[in-house]
Amino acid sequence: MASNTQNGSADPSEEISNLPAVVGINFGNSFASIAVFTKDGQAECIANEDGERQIACALSFFGEEMYIGSPAKAQLVKNSKNTIVGFRNLLGKKFSEITHSQSTTSAPVIQHPDIPDEPAYKVEILQPAPAPLPKSTTGTPAASSAPTPRSEPIPAERILPVSEVTTIFLKSLLQSAEDFLGKRVQGAVITIPSIFTDAQKDALERAAADAGITVYQLLEEPAAVAAVTTAEAWNSTLPTDRTQLIVDVGSSSLSLSLLALREGLAQVLASSSSTTTGGDAIDSKLITFFANEFAKKTKTPLTVCSEKPSTADARAEARLRLAIEHTKRTISASPGAATCSVESLKDGVDFTGTINRLRFDMLVRPIYDSVARSVIDLLATANVDAHQVDEIVYVGGTTCLSGLDEHVGLTGGFNEDINTPFSMGTVIGGGIGDPTTVLARGCALQAALIASLTDEEEELRKAFERGSELTEVKTTSKTLGIVFPDDSGNETGGTWIPLVLAGTTLPARRTATFDIGLSEESKRFAFELWEVSEGIRVEKIKPVQEETPNAEDEDEEEEEEDIEVKHKTITKDSFLGAAEAEAALGIKVKGPSKDAGKWTTTVEATIIVAASGAVDVSVKEIGKDGVVATVKVSAP
Amino acid sequence: MASIQTNVLPKSYTIPSLTQASIAGPSTRRLLPVGPAYISHLRLTIHHDHDFDAHDAHLEKQRQKLEELQNSAANGDDDLGVGDEPESEELLALDPKEWKKHDYYAVLGLSHLRYKANAEQIKIAHRKKVLKHHPDKKVSSTAPQSTSSLLTGVNLNTNDDAFFKCIAKAHEVLTHPEKRSQYDSVDHELMDSQEDDPIPSTFSKTKKSLSDEEFFKTFTHIFERESRFSKKQPVPMLGDIDASKEHVEGFYDFWYNFDSWRSFEWLDKEINEGSDNRDDKRYTEKKNKSERARRKKEDIARLRQLVDLTLSLDPRIKRIKQQEKKTREAKKAAKSAPASGTVTPQKSKAQEEEEKKKKEEEEKAAKADAKKAKAAAANAAKKARRAARVAEEGDVA
Repeated sequence: MASNTQNGSADPSEEISNLPAVVGINFGNSFASIAVFTKDGQAECIANEDGERQIACALSFFGEEMYIGSPAKAQLVKNSKNTIVGFRNLLGKKFSEITHSQSTTSAPVIQHPDIPDEPAYKVEILQPAPAPLPKSTTGTPAASSAPTPRSEPIPAERILPVSEVTTIFLKSLLQSAEDFLGKRVQGAVITIPSIFTDAQKDALERAAADAGITVYQLLEEPAAVAAVTTAEAWNSTLPTDRTQLIVDVGSSSLSLSLLALREGLAQVLASSSSTTTGGDAIDSKLITFFANEFAKKTKTPLTVCSEKPSTADARAEARLRLAIEHTKRTISASPGAATCSVESLKDGVDFTGTINRLRFDMLVRPIYDSVARSVIDLLATANVDAHQVDEIVYVGGTTCLSGLDEHVGLTGGFNEDINTPFSMGTVIGGGIGDPTTVLARGCALQAALIASLTDEEEELRKAFERGSELTEVKTTSKTLGIVFPDDSGNETGGTWIPLVLAGTTLPARRTATFDIGLSEESKRFAFELWEVSEGIRVEKIKPVQEETPNAEDEDEEEEEEDIEVKHKTITKDSFLGAAEAEAALGIKVKGPSKDAGKWTTTVEATIIVAASGAVDVSVKEIGKDGVVATVKVSAP
Repeated sequence: MASIQTNVLPKSYTIPSLTQASIAGPSTRRLLPVGPAYISHLRLTIHHDHDFDAHDAHLEKQRQKLEELQNSAANGDDDLGVGDEPESEELLALDPKEWKKHDYYAVLGLSHLRYKANAEQIKIAHRKKVLKHHPDKKVSSTAPQSTSSLLTGVNLNTNDDAFFKCIAKAHEVLTHPEKRSQYDSVDHELMDSQEDDPIPSTFSKTKKSLSDEEFFKTFTHIFERESRFSKKQPVPMLGDIDASKEHVEGFYDFWYNFDSWRSFEWLDKEINEGSDNRDDKRYTEKKNKSERARRKKEDIARLRQLVDLTLSLDPRIKRIKQQEKKTREAKKAAKSAPASGTVTPQKSKAQEEEEKKKKEEEEKAAKADAKKAKAAAANAAKKARRAARVAEEGDVA
């Protein structure tokens, strides 16, 4: 045994072979990222050959060469005519549907000459020349007086339909993943924006199939986020039932989704998207800032982001656009000043400028404002108060800016202690909350999940295909819970224990464990099953610090002005039933605590809401011979 | 304890009458098809018809399957029945300096096999233990505790490789054939069980006779135990009550001529190697040698005694004798019967007397046999002693 493995063997070690050979692809309009499972069983975003985790969706042709990713983006400076960017959003669209903005910074989109109503890119390439001499059968070319044919490549025009561009790009992503894994990829999950139409999804599936990718599922971006945030690794202290706001600031679009997470099941409460706000707007602000600084310092006029830039200025703008990428990353990572330096920006003059966080935040405040406004609008349409949102999750490189988080949190009127990746400290250092990689990692998790389904569960696998009706589910429309009545006289008439929140998918089962108080003489306890609606009560109180009137309500929050106090309220809507029992296992609390001498018993409440809507609640004492009290409500 | 605590139910509380139990109907929503929870939901709806019990059963089955898979993966290669023995606190706290007193089979987790363990099993057991107790592993696993040990001022790490040393020692002894046979000769378990062996006095004093069952119960395992020392294998076993005459005779024949490889080097007093005093060394050596011989003699005598005792209590011997007598009587009867059929009762009396006599004679003969055997054993012992002395003298010379 030892002799034949002395020098190692070519077989991969067992550890590696146990990893699912799946890849998660976040396919954005401007950037893409890929994630695979690494040796420690975690989904990790991986870098491509150029060392980029954020792979620019760009394709550039220069002579006989083709560049993909960030080298292609760099070509935008001097070879913009042959560089293709922003192709994803054109996928599956007809030529007539595309808004033709005459962009000067990339390859033009034209009508495909052969296929009707099909957009395509026209690029100039050099075709490899035909073989210099026809091989003659005799072996040696016949002597002739004619000059030897030149073997230079011939300039040619190449028409690339959008789908072909996508295929080329996806193929390069797949290649990167396979190089990392060292084996063939079984399948992939690819993100799509929620606004994708069926035609676009079809086109993407076709393009992926052409690239040799088995697509397990096309996953909407909010779902990819949910895949990460519902995983155990996210944050164990958060409740499993929560409302989550996803803020996705791409480079060219802003999309917001409000999700209701109910024990791992996610549903969209509301979503919105706009293409006016995005990272590009921040870029423009920053470029203008640096261009002005340049003009001031060097007395060289430089106009950027104008309608009709001169050629020299357009090139300078492209240079700056590449350079500020680095500046933005520095700003998000460290609180100090960030530099931007470009060699030979214009007329051979170099430029080095700095900007600090405060300056930066002031500069891009309009963009922050528009994000915050969109958030407020979304919450208004969903009829959800900002205080009912438990968590904000950020997606996209722009959201790495901590200024954005602060601004949204403050302007949106959220709880001060709302959970964000920043408050959890998972953004920096490629943590689990890293907004740039979260989508790809979610896809990888989902891909591994689907890959783990056995062949017997073919119908489950089918459910992940497009157009499955199984996503249509029944949910509870109101929150169900139990009240243990007492004479405290608060609004619920006792201790309120929520069991099934509104919007929980049916059938549902929940359990809760708690202590109930008993009196010494009688061990009787009782509970009532209620359907309630939750709300927020805004209470104006004087700025003078005083004891809040309602001590029972622990969830009260103060606005920054210190005069409005928001309470979470519970309004009892309909009484569904009650039950009582004599506790058999009551114990007297001993020890020095303030509850000493009181009688309690620990109970477990289980509620099952069937698919029909019928409810079955049982409260059982934990332990041998514990009593059980049940309430049943038939389906409506 | 649960974090929620409800208040005491007021005494006056009565359950409110149910006016109208109307529950708001479910609404329809669209789920995002993502995550393990969605798969559970699908299973629940597709396979289990919304029934939580069925779903629970399914999950339990899955879990069991997984466990089995993991178990089979853990025991992927056959460990030849080495298994995994629990390690007691005492075992782990063994002092490697006291290595002579250790139970090596227990150290390697082979106490269920002991002398029956073959080389392959010892190898496997040793590897298992090394993997578990290697000091390199211990350092990493106890690393977080180092702070607490600093606080208490006790360095817990000093004893880290003690058990590993014990394992190494056990492996060294058990893989060396000569050392192993020495160790097996004085195996703790064996010594303990030998102490419980019946001795003739217990039976002679109480005059209590054993029932057949008791006899086989006490003696079968004794001979099984002793058989390990035989140079000749296989060893005939005691057998059962219906064993044939040949078997019984063969058995006693074998055990009276038992050739044992048992030796007592293991119990030698340690020779002080560091000492320069040659006389001192020789003296210890000599002592050890005589001690070994004495022990060997004792052991032979012990076994002899045991066989004697067995023979004297064996119910089958009585049976065989009776059978022999019967056949003889039958022969006699066959001879005398045609002569006179009427005198049979008297004859039978005479026969009885004869039988008695014969029995006595036979018993005497048996006793004489035993005596002879004893004498022979003594002779053998003497011879051995003499040979030893000669050898010793040779050594000295």
